[in-house]
This record gives sequence, C-alpha cells and structure tokens, in this order.
Amino acid sequence: MARPSTQQLMSLYEDMLRVRFFEEKIDQELFPAGLIRGLTHLYVGQEATGAGVIRALEPQDYVLSTHRGHGHCLLRGSDPARIYAEILGRRDGLCRGKGGSMHLCDMETNFVGCNPVVGANLPIGAGLAFACKYLNNGRLTAVFFGDGALNTGAFHESANLASLWKLPVFMVCENNRYAISVSVERASAVIDLADRAAAYGMWHETVDGMRVWDVWEAASRAAEVCRSHQQPVLLVCNTYRFVGHYTRDTLRYRPPDEARDEFREHDPIHLAERQLADDCAVDLRQLVDLRERVKREIDQAAEAAKQIAPPPAQWALEDVYVEQG
Amino acid sequence: MSSRGEQAQPGGAQQSPAPRVREVAYALAVRTALREEMLRDERVFLMGEDIAVYGGVYGATRGLLREFGEKRVRDTPISEAAIAGMAVGAAIGGLRPVAEIMYCDFLSIALDAIANQAAKLSYMSAGQLAVPLVIRTCAGGHGYAAQHSQSLEMWVTHIPGLKVVTPGTCADARGLLKSAIRDPNPVVVIEHKALYQTTGPMPAEETLEPIGVAQVAREGGDVTLVSWSAMAGVCLEAAQELAAEGIEAEVIDLRTLLPADFDAVVKSVRKTGRLVVAHEAVTYCGFGAEVVAQLTERAWGDLKAPPVRVGSRFAPIPFAEPLESYVTAGKQEVMDRVRTCVKG
Repeated sequence: MARPSTQQLMSLYEDMLRVRFFEEKIDQELFPAGLIRGLTHLYVGQEATGAGVIRALEPQDYVLSTHRGHGHCLLRGSDPARIYAEILGRRDGLCRGKGGSMHLCDMETNFVGCNPVVGANLPIGAGLAFACKYLNNGRLTAVFFGDGALNTGAFHESANLASLWKLPVFMVCENNRYAISVSVERASAVIDLADRAAAYGMWHETVDGMRVWDVWEAASRAAEVCRSHQQPVLLVCNTYRFVGHYTRDTLRYRPPDEARDEFREHDPIHLAERQLADDCAVDLRQLVDLRERVKREIDQAAEAAKQIAPPPAQWALEDVYVEQG
Repeated sequence: MSSRGEQAQPGGAQQSPAPRVREVAYALAVRTALREEMLRDERVFLMGEDIAVYGGVYGATRGLLREFGEKRVRDTPISEAAIAGMAVGAAIGGLRPVAEIMYCDFLSIALDAIANQAAKLSYMSAGQLAVPLVIRTCAGGHGYAAQHSQSLEMWVTHIPGLKVVTPGTCADARGLLKSAIRDPNPVVVIEHKALYQTTGPMPAEETLEPIGVAQVAREGGDVTLVSWSAMAGVCLEAAQELAAEGIEAEVIDLRTLLPADFDAVVKSVRKTGRLVVAHEAVTYCGFGAEVVAQLTERAWGDLKAPPVRVGSRFAPIPFAEPLESYVTAGKQEVMDRVRTCVKG
C-alpha cells in the first residue's frame, strides 16, 4: 500500500475532527440542554468511513445518507451552522426546520439527503444512477447504509437491478455491528457482508472502516470502477459506533466494556494521528493547533445556530406541492 | 366542471360543443398519452413488469418498445419496491418516469417509495427536491379474486404530497395521464382493469385534461350522483334508466380525487338538494365518506335528504361470479339507493 500523502491525510484527519466535534457538541451540550426534539443519531466512531468515501467522490456526484447522516452532510461541505440550525428546528436550517436531524438535505452540495427509512435510499440511489446514465452526465451516486439495511428487500431488489442495468451506484455499507440493538451475528445469515454482492455479480471490497487512509484508497478504487465501467459496487466498511444508536440509548445490548475497548484500540482519529506522526512525521503541535481551530469553528457554528429564530407556523403548509413551473 | 375534453376551472360548470372525436379502446387511449408525451419530452421513460416486450398485460404499452427502444421502455424484474423507489430517484435526477405497478393491490409492496418518499421529499427538503413521477396502476373487480381486484384509492388519497387521478373514460385516460406526466409532483394514476378493452370517444386532437376538475357527465335536477373511474359509467347507465322512472340524476365524474373538485359537488347539490356517492371501493372509510363530509360541512342547509354512500360490501372480493357480484356495488345498488334518496 502506498505511503500516505501528508497533505491528503491531514485533510482526512481534519474532516474527521470536524464531524467528531460536531457530534460531541450535540451529545454533551445541545441535547442535554433540551434544545433538540425527537430522535438524533450520532456518528461518533464512524468518521473514517464517511471521510474516506466522500473525499473519493467528485462535487457533482450525488450522496444519499441514512438516519445517522450529520457527518455525511458535513463532509459533503454544508455549512455546519445551517446543519445545526436544522437539527435545532430553526428557520435558517438547511430544510427550514421541516426535516430535522433525520432529513437533512442540501442540493448545493448534491447531498440528496438523509433517509431514516432503513434501506429506502437504495432504490432511490439506483434510480438516480439510472438518471445519470440515461443523461450520460458522468455523475455517480453514493448511497450510505448500515448493516441493518442489507437485510431489507430494498437492498436485494436494488442490487439486482443495478447490476442487471449496469448503473453507476456506489453502495457503501457502514457495518457498525448493530442494527439498533441487534448484532450482525444475530441478524445476518452471512457474517462477511460483502458476500451479499456476489449474489448479484457485483464488484465488492471490504475495508477496515476505522482507518481513514485505507477507506479513502478503497473508496477511490470503488469509485473508479463504478464511474469508468458504469456498474454498481459494494464497499463494506467495518466500523463501530462508540455511542448509542440514538441519544437516549441505554446500550444494554452491548457488553459494558466493548465501546471502551474499541475506542482505546480503534478510534479512527487516534489511528490517523499515529499514522500522521509515524509515517508522515507531522509535528504534534501542528495536530493540536488543528484540533483547536476546528473546535472553535464548530463552537461558533453552534452558537450561531442557537441565535436563529424558529420558523413561523405558517411555513408548515408550504412546499407540500411543487408549483407548476 | 367541463364537458368532455374542454379545459375548465374547478366548479365552473358549462357545456360546450363536442370536439371532434374518434372511438378507441381505453388501453389505446393510455398508449396514445404515453406515446405523445414520449415524443414531446425525451426525459419521459417507462418502467414496469411486462410492459416492454409483452406490451403490458392489458396492452396499454404495446408497440412502444419498438418505437422508442430499450432505453426508454424498460421491462423490470418483479421488484415493486425497486420500481417505485427507482422512479423516485430517476425523478430527482431529472427524468420523468412513468412506472407501472400492475395491480393497485401491489401498491402495498411499493408504498414506502410512494407515500414516505415521493410524497414527502419536496416538503422535507423545503422545496430543494422535486419528484415528478407517475405511478400507473389499475383497480377494480373483473373475476380476479381478492388480491387483484381491490379499489384502493384511499391508500393514496390520504397522503399529502401526492395527486391521485381515476380516469373512467377514454378521453380522461389520455388527457389526465398526459397532465400527470407534465405535473411537477408525484401522481398516482389509477386506471380500471375492466375498461381497458372497452371503447369510447376520445378527442382526435391532443387534449390535456386538468387535474382537480370534475366533469358533469349528465345534467339533472333531482339528485346529484357523484362517482369516478368505471363506476362513473355505471352511474350514467343508472341515470338513463332512472330517467324512464321520472328521476333526473345529475352525474358528476370527479375524475381526480386528490385534489378533488368538491366545489362542483356543492354547486350541484345546491341545485338538487340530494347527494348519492357511488364507488367500487368498500363503503367503510371509502372516498365517498370524504365527499359526504365535505358536502355536509359546506352545504348542510341545501340538503333535502341525508346523503347516501354506495360502495362494496365489507368483505374481500371473492372469485365466483355470484359472490363477486354480491360484494361489489353495481348499477342495481346505485339505482336502489338513488330511488330511496329521492322518494324517501
């Protein structure tokens, strides 16, 4: 494997830091303060998969995400203050407060959106890929989903059709080992999830989803196959969420020490720091400075979002239908 | 309301000279709409089970593969969730998909993409996304038993963000489908399987029928008889026979259920003072309940008699002919209920 480029690894590291700080702010401050309604699913621990994959895409490519999509939206380049504003239900949120945490969408970055109906984004992604092929516009469509979605009929129908019709859809399975509380071992008849791709003759690869450089390299290979050969690919990223499925999760389904041990051994941010120090000879001071800068940026975004007013009630009846143009 | 083939505004009832027409099968009217829209707009493509090589189980897409090729007329595997879901994605990506779900009974398998995705993506994204797709499907009993015979329009009329049209004539089968394809919103077009091989007048010229505008299919002063889809034709026949008994029914074909032209119903009932709503769906929680509720809220004082619903009995649709006929509402039930409504 090629020695990482310092500049690129630093970019990936910065991406991961931004997501980590963004989510920790929710977990430690915004949610406990009662500023967030309903459900919020955090991406803490899975940053390397989103960062590595999204850096391997082009700006014109479409990205579809899941209920755990803050990170993907942020990595795609949305303004963190507008993401926070949406999560807080404020008027300047990405979706003017109509979507919230589970329905982020930003077409300025071609982030088609989060989709909290597990598996539902796979046929939509295949359809987008169909449109791209039909219009011959060279775009590919990346669809993120978890290990749970692999057990939906939507995955199988989409995988079959995408392979049959040779659609440029990049399927990214973020295997964080639990579908809410049910582990992969208790939910899937095959443990090597990439085996699912074989049934549809689909190009596939499995990567350590905690190592951002490895993810980026694998995702770059997958994107190249997908784009230049106009065919679907499945990249399984083995990862782990250090936090609960959602902010109120009791975590009674996991061994008590599991998350602590995983964090100690496989925290993607720590692994990237070690790689930067060992392979790229980056000075520790530089990393500390970067952390402080990104942290400040996130703090400011959250503060800015908190100052934004909620949407006026009458907005509730707008956008139910698109006006004939 | 409009006479057949005329552009009109909701509630604006008037009759106009009949346009030049030709007699065609309902399936051909559907095919005409698809062909015209595919010629007009290269973004329009068709996908569904058995629609390409076979030409559709009712022949509604016959010949289109030969004319437009495999890129635009696509047979799919039996994957309703993916058919509907891919239509959503293709619409977001800039195309105008017309996806067929062979029977509306199978909407159950495709409903997430239709009701949770297509209907809501524009709203949830505050207008960043648009999902201009058409789902073509068909309803109605015709000897196919319980899982291929239902009239499930209420499954989709309950969802904000969708439009639902139910053409009962050849002119509407073409004109409403064309409007549906040009609409920037997701539209569910519910055709009727018993109509595909029946013939009726269709304007010779290309005609768009507006979504959300009812049509007075027959004028009358004694009772307002509201219906849609194939049942509208049944109501017209019932009205002709009732006329011989001295009862003049005004038949309104709603044509579109979401949005529905309740103004037209109110206007007619202000004249007749009586309302009978007839549909092939089960009476209980059928769309007739919504028609009656809208009317009583808006025109209670004009009613001379309690409104009446006619629909199918509360059972799955059975197979054997006498059983199906017993469960399914038909001309006799409509006539009986109209007589009771008018004579008390």
